[in-house]
Amino acid sequence: MNTSSDPGLVSEVRRYGHFDVDGCYNCGSCACVCELAEDGSLFPRKSLRSAQLGLRDRLLSSLEPWLCYYCGDCSKTCPRQTEPGESMMTLRRFLTAQYDWTGLSARMYRSKWWELGMIGVVGLLTGWIMSMLMAGLPTDLTVQGGVKINEFLPMARVHAFDWAMAAVLTFFLLSNVTRFFWFTMLRDGDAPPLRSYLSELQTLVWDGATQIRFRDCGTNIPRWTKHLLLVTGYGLMFSLIVLFLPWFQTENLYPVWHPQRWLGYYATIVLTVFTVEILWSRLGKEEQIHKFSDFSDWLFPILLLLTTLTGIAVHVFRYAGMPYPMFCAYFAHMMVAVPMLTVEVPFGKWAHIAYRPLAAYFQAVRKNAALRRPAEGAALGTGTQAQAA
Amino acid sequence: MNESDSNHGKKVGAALVVGGGIGGMQAALDFAAAGIKAYLVDRSPCIGGAMAQLDKTFPTNDCSMCTMAPRLVEISRHKDIEIIPLAEVEKVSGRVGDFSVSLRQRPRFVNEKCTGCGACLSACPLGKLKPSDDPKKPQPIPDEYNEGLSTRPAIYIPYPQAVPNFAVVDPERCLHLKTGKCKLCLKACQAGAIDFTQKEREIIVKVGAVVAAPGYKLIDPKVKPDYGYGTYKNVVTALEFERLLSASGPHLGKVLRPSDKTEPKRIAFIQCVGSRDNERDYCSAVCCMYATKEALLAKEHLSPDLQCDIYFMDLRAFSKGFEEYYNRAKSHGVNYIRCRVPKLSEDPATRNISLSFLTEDETKRQAEYDLVVLSAGLKPNPSSAALKGTLGLEFDEHGFCVTKPFAPVESGREGIFVAGVFTEPKDIPETVIQASGAVAKAMEILAPAKGELLAKKDYPAEIPVAGQEPRVGVFICHCGTNIASVVAVPEVVAYAKSLPNVEHAENVLYACANDSQEKIKKTIVEKGLNRVIVAACTPRTHEPLFRNTIREAGLNPYLFEMANIRDQCSWVHMSEPGPATRKAKDLVRMALAKSRLLEPLQKKQVPIQKGVLVIGGGLAGMTAALTLARQGFPVRLVERDPELGGMMRRSHFLLEPEADPQKHLRRLIEDVKAEKNITVFTGTKIAAIEGCVGNFKSRLAVVGKPEVSVLHGAVIVATGAREHRPEEYLYGKNPSVLTQLELEERLSAGGWNAQPPRMVVMIQCVGSRDEKRPNCSRVCCGEAVKNALKIKELSPETSVYVLFRDVRTYGFKEAYYTEARRQGVVFGRYDETRKPSVAEEGGRLRVTVWEPVARAEVVIPADLVVLSAATVPHPENKDLAQMLKVPLDPNGFFLEAHMKLRPVDFATEGVFLCGAAHFPKTPDETIAQALAAAARVAAMLANDTMALEANISQVIDENCDGCAYCVDPCPYKAVTLLEYMREGAIKKIVEVNESLCKGCGVCQATCPKKGISVRGFMLNQISAMAEAALSPAPLEPAAEPKREEVQTL
Repeated sequence: MNTSSDPGLVSEVRRYGHFDVDGCYNCGSCACVCELAEDGSLFPRKSLRSAQLGLRDRLLSSLEPWLCYYCGDCSKTCPRQTEPGESMMTLRRFLTAQYDWTGLSARMYRSKWWELGMIGVVGLLTGWIMSMLMAGLPTDLTVQGGVKINEFLPMARVHAFDWAMAAVLTFFLLSNVTRFFWFTMLRDGDAPPLRSYLSELQTLVWDGATQIRFRDCGTNIPRWTKHLLLVTGYGLMFSLIVLFLPWFQTENLYPVWHPQRWLGYYATIVLTVFTVEILWSRLGKEEQIHKFSDFSDWLFPILLLLTTLTGIAVHVFRYAGMPYPMFCAYFAHMMVAVPMLTVEVPFGKWAHIAYRPLAAYFQAVRKNAALRRPAEGAALGTGTQAQAA
Repeated sequence: MNESDSNHGKKVGAALVVGGGIGGMQAALDFAAAGIKAYLVDRSPCIGGAMAQLDKTFPTNDCSMCTMAPRLVEISRHKDIEIIPLAEVEKVSGRVGDFSVSLRQRPRFVNEKCTGCGACLSACPLGKLKPSDDPKKPQPIPDEYNEGLSTRPAIYIPYPQAVPNFAVVDPERCLHLKTGKCKLCLKACQAGAIDFTQKEREIIVKVGAVVAAPGYKLIDPKVKPDYGYGTYKNVVTALEFERLLSASGPHLGKVLRPSDKTEPKRIAFIQCVGSRDNERDYCSAVCCMYATKEALLAKEHLSPDLQCDIYFMDLRAFSKGFEEYYNRAKSHGVNYIRCRVPKLSEDPATRNISLSFLTEDETKRQAEYDLVVLSAGLKPNPSSAALKGTLGLEFDEHGFCVTKPFAPVESGREGIFVAGVFTEPKDIPETVIQASGAVAKAMEILAPAKGELLAKKDYPAEIPVAGQEPRVGVFICHCGTNIASVVAVPEVVAYAKSLPNVEHAENVLYACANDSQEKIKKTIVEKGLNRVIVAACTPRTHEPLFRNTIREAGLNPYLFEMANIRDQCSWVHMSEPGPATRKAKDLVRMALAKSRLLEPLQKKQVPIQKGVLVIGGGLAGMTAALTLARQGFPVRLVERDPELGGMMRRSHFLLEPEADPQKHLRRLIEDVKAEKNITVFTGTKIAAIEGCVGNFKSRLAVVGKPEVSVLHGAVIVATGAREHRPEEYLYGKNPSVLTQLELEERLSAGGWNAQPPRMVVMIQCVGSRDEKRPNCSRVCCGEAVKNALKIKELSPETSVYVLFRDVRTYGFKEAYYTEARRQGVVFGRYDETRKPSVAEEGGRLRVTVWEPVARAEVVIPADLVVLSAATVPHPENKDLAQMLKVPLDPNGFFLEAHMKLRPVDFATEGVFLCGAAHFPKTPDETIAQALAAAARVAAMLANDTMALEANISQVIDENCDGCAYCVDPCPYKAVTLLEYMREGAIKKIVEVNESLCKGCGVCQATCPKKGISVRGFMLNQISAMAEAALSPAPLEPAAEPKREEVQTL
């Protein structure tokens, strides 16, 4: 690994948000109070020290920013009030941008106009495609009194579009994730053996499904719960829309107890409640973690909330038999949801959906590999440390 | 000082000293010695301040009370120092030289009849209160001296050696003052000293100048709630722990943890509690060393295996002897762990305290301790806030009094001077230095009024003892537990009583304390003693005190003898109490053998020279010369270079942006040259110094001129130091590798003359803190920060990396360290075992360093590499030290008489030191020390004559045959051979110059004829001691002495 010091690194990272490492004198309080910091990865100190010293490659190969769930204990403890928790947040933005080969992530994180512009362009593009896919504007209602949604935008066309969108999204995300894998696990040599990857697979599955490490983060149990519920909400909604659209986008008006309805209700309630809660907390700034809000921290929950609200509107107008409002709501829904997914997931804040579970997995793999090398077992963590030591 | 202001109008020959701590005490003593009456005001019932609470002091582990008690006693009996306890300054009016100060004194309710016997203390019912959970019941009164670890009655004596040693009534708690009942103390007091009618009163004193040294308090650790101080019983402050260590503490020196009074086996010290954070961005400067001291002492008290872990961020062992002390602690098994511990937690069952910390090898560990000591920082004494209004001082945001870099003892207001932690956190010697310095500046104003208000000291007429049978009194000191924990003192007392000619023997807790002194005097009179022996610490420090005591009782001071049963017995035989007690008896028997043969001696008065020779024309020398000249002393200022200025000539800016060193230097040189009392000798070396205190004769070798001979009464050594020339890191091989001073010169010449460098890397501790030079050079961290900030000011785009081992920006320099980080200066640490390397590659420098926090080998391409080269003593120090007969420390700096309390004096009388010749220091520290040296000189030369030592050689005419064996060995050149004609034959005999003779005894040892002897160490006296040592101990008294015969004071 190149350990040349890059004195411009800190000011570069600072373009991604609050990054007050200058006040820091490396006392170690932050890593001491951190419930997640462990031998070999004593963050936040280690990450911030790497940045202070301009160790770009070291930072790029580090998993620590993704292992931090930002409970804010470090920020509360820091004797110099340098907000290490928020600095870790900024590092996550910085790293997301570094993994992204297109350069879009860096642009949108450093400029809200870029982020808004990308959302806007994709939204307009989606609107244009929707108008191409549109079959008609049926004003007559179904026997049950609902709007004829499939005569407006045929389910099959939308389904195809969804799959296409998912393919684009996956392409970008996977390519960035590959780079993440390269930077953190392969580039510096001393790669863990395949056996380690295999034996830690359960971490990937379990952590991805539960974000269980979030729970270990001292004061974060309520936040973990909320986050988990939110995950079930959008996870459910995403699968209803992408996988089960034929079942979900029907013209049937079901009774309330029908799973198609209450599953949707559950998801929309959870999504509404917790996105509103997030925004409310960020406005209130009462908790340590909400003291700073980057534009990206606002935009993501706002898009999620707008997507949910427009989705609810589509549902309500369909049941109420109000065709034109429903058509508008449908367009709006798609023009928010599609840019949210295609921009935020591979390039933006939502990228954590991939990096967090993978980082937990890679960390487990590294530890596993270190245990397989008893001679160097002391140097837990990255292979590069073992090299340097 | 404005000359026109200070030179007209009346000057009052008195000064007010606010604060009776060690700083205020020093100021009062220096004033009084210089001929100015001192009023020493303290808010509390007695003087002594925080130092009185300390057990030992770093870095010598000297007993704090033992070093300060003689001063307490000296002040308490000083005719020209008036202690005004329980008082506060209310108003200061008038003008410089003639202030009228109004003081408000709270009632003591005890008058001067008090003997300090303590009868009232045991009578007070509030002293017997037990803690109760019932909120309605009265709670016991916490004892302030023991930091609340013990309780006290409502009438109390703050500590055993308190001065004045009078009881005081706590009006907040006294039952009588609250309810009108009780009065039990009144009945118990035999002396009739308790007076409940006393009222608050106003005292008005007329003074010419004021020195404010109101001291400090510890920052309340409750500002960091995560440490649980006040909730967790086994979390104590460092001052509380100091009391636990102290023999006069709550458990008499037994270290017991508060929760269950058991001995701790694991102790953690947490540094920087309340300092070095965002709210208080300063370093308290003393905590690293006091924690080190406390850890060492705890190991000594409990067990060498005691686990002592010190959690620190930067270990700031920056002053003289500190680094060596730190190394010693490490070798004694004190663990230093570089991690700021953020919080503590208590196990409710065991009351043990646990914490987590990070190790150097990147792991996180949990640790459990029986006791945790919080190294709380220092803040100005809250009571000093009132001085802002009454004295008209300027305070900073933390409440410290603001001083200027080139006026370190001056407040903004003329005639009002400041010292101690009041102006910045500092240790005892720096407080003492600043206090003496404040006196020097005050004396510039008050010199014309010298002696006007002094009282005359009257000793009683000497009691004739010639021909009397010796009647010896023996006082055996416990020295807290210093002696008594090893030597069975009562047994030695009983033994002494059994010896012939012993009229009286008793044991005392501290023989040097005021109460014991009074007891000794009383016993001399009552029992008609004509010889006195004190068996205690060492005559080195305490003999003058006891001599004065017996003189006050009417005995000739040389009828005193001391048995050294601490330094030479209890301390060296710490683990063998039985044999140590036997040795103590032997030492007492030997002292007695000599004592019986002691004869009265008289000191001779000789006239002294008022002139002063100042060696070194740098900042220190010029400052000292100027203040002495302004006080009327003629000064010869000798500088080896062709021009004045010394190292200061290379200084172009300071950390404090407003300070301009060159401007100050120019003004100083102009003032020195214009001063009629100063004769400057540039390009001059000292060829020889002869004579002794009061009457030196020196030869000055001026380049290209004949030697000049000068007479002077005192010498100030201010020879400075110089920057080490490194041999490593390509210095001298690559033009882009500079020292900090070279960088400073480059930065001062109007900035970068060409393209600013992209990257500057500074490497700290070059030539310091290594095997060859173990000491820290003290100034380099501040210098690096200073130059880094300058670079950022000149070219913000330049990157600056500072590679350090510990950032030692003590005191207010911490804020500049913070500022440098804020400006983007990167501070990277290196380990002493893995020093950075500098290589040249493709025309650019490349610095490689292993950074232990990032745990990475960092490669930094650099355009300039700046080495913080050590400040090293001048090689000519050796010759000068030999000429002056003064010692150098192992690093080659001059060694002062006492590291804590005599920081500018040499053990050799009449010779003083200041500036970097003593140790590297910053300009403000240098100025303070130069002023202090001047104050000490002025005090010494205040009178026209000086008393010579009486213990000097005496030729015994009938035995001396003039063989002259003794002439050459005399190290002081005090012995000369005389030849004369008598009855037609040439007779030879030697003669002793009484001014030169130090009484070392070399002549006596070389003389084969018993022809020369030192008074007080005559051959018969020495052989009596030797016989007593060799003769088998007389039989123990048949019966054990009765218990009541053995009294303790």
